[in-house]
Amino acid sequence: MSHLLILAASDAGPVAEIAKIFGANVPALVANSISFLLVALILKKWAIGPIQKTLEDRRATISQGLADASRAREDLAVAHRKSQELLLETGAQTGRIIEESRAAAARVTEIETQKAIAAAADIIAKARHSNDAELARLKAELRQEFGRLVVEASIKVTGKILTLDDQKRLAEETQRQIAA
Amino acid sequence: MAWPKALVFLFGGLCLQLATVAAEHGNPAEVAATHGLPSAAPVIFHIGPLPVSNSMILTWIVSLLLVLAVRLGVRTMKDVPDGAQNFWEWLVESLYDFLGGIIGAELVHKTFWFFASLFIFILATNWFGLLPGVGSIGYGHPTEHGFDVTEPLLRGANADFNMTFAMAMVFFILWTVWALQANGPVGFLKHLFGAKGGLGGFMGFILMVVFFAVGLLEVVSILFRPVSLSFRLFGNVFAGENMLEAMTHLGGAKLGWLTALPFYFMEILVGVVQALVFMLLTAVFTLLICSHDEEPAEDGSHH
Repeated sequence: MSHLLILAASDAGPVAEIAKIFGANVPALVANSISFLLVALILKKWAIGPIQKTLEDRRATISQGLADASRAREDLAVAHRKSQELLLETGAQTGRIIEESRAAAARVTEIETQKAIAAAADIIAKARHSNDAELARLKAELRQEFGRLVVEASIKVTGKILTLDDQKRLAEETQRQIAA
Repeated sequence: MAWPKALVFLFGGLCLQLATVAAEHGNPAEVAATHGLPSAAPVIFHIGPLPVSNSMILTWIVSLLLVLAVRLGVRTMKDVPDGAQNFWEWLVESLYDFLGGIIGAELVHKTFWFFASLFIFILATNWFGLLPGVGSIGYGHPTEHGFDVTEPLLRGANADFNMTFAMAMVFFILWTVWALQANGPVGFLKHLFGAKGGLGGFMGFILMVVFFAVGLLEVVSILFRPVSLSFRLFGNVFAGENMLEAMTHLGGAKLGWLTALPFYFMEILVGVVQALVFMLLTAVFTLLICSHDEEPAEDGSHH
């Protein structure tokens, strides 16, 4: 305790006189000290402590948020770079695939074309062969018919009854003439 | 251009009024002296052995209001502050940064609660003491100049030496605790009496004697700190209240408010400045004893 109060309590000397003038007394001093300490402790518990904690938490949250944002920006940049690389790679692969597809398609087209040409040639040959056969058959029928007509005409013109051998020989002769 | 002219007329009118009052009642200083505040706060009633003065009543009212304001403002802390929480956060953060810049991050973390409470409490009591009714409502008797209040029910808390000395003593006790925590008992004594500079031999011995004498002066200085701190605050607030009362009486019944008005603004400023001075001095005293850097401590300890 200060010497001022000690001297004030002893009620002697100039310090005691000063203490008396200003009304300094131990009970009031103790009461005021307790009042002030109570206020200080209440402010510490209810205001300063919680506010400081809130401010520290907020600072931590903000710095965490900034760090997260920075990390997110970095991640985004990395992702962007990777996506660009993937796009480039995909583009190259796509180009290659398209080229390969085109080549394959060209090959397939060529093969199919060749097949079609061969098939067409085959069809044409078969058709020609069939035509030739049909033509030959028709020609043969025509020759036979013509031989028969010649025979009939000869019978009617000559009035003579031709034998089967004559008819046969006349028809063959007619056919030979036509074929020549 | 209209404002300066109005102020000139106002000032002229004020001087005229003061001259009239002085002529009617004699020397203005005498008029003021008759209405001055008593240097000791009057005791209004007793609670057991405790004499309750009007300044103590105001102290308790301000304390209750502060507690109420705190509870209402920061009862539930929100992540996004608004209203009173915004104000309290601003106040605490500003004080923390301000003190941190002076006494350092480590010390402010440990002692901030006390210095902030000191500032808030002194400021609140200083400003509350300026409210109308404080010092003007109470017991008294009618005089020919009107009703003279001799025992006001309320008085500025820091216009009572007991309050300022109580705060200074609480600080002194905490200062001692912090000093011992920071230095240890031996380090504390070394801090006060130890020779600095690291010189050996004869010069070292001379320096040891010199620093011991300096330490004795330092001890005297430390012991008088509570006295100087408390009288500085008490003197400023007490003088301010006396001046306001004198100015009010000087203006008379009709213009008393006008003569005191400029000084009210000054007292608002004084209230902040004195709270700041008390807080800063106590903070710097704490820094000086807790600082392990010897040079600044030695420089500052002589003030």
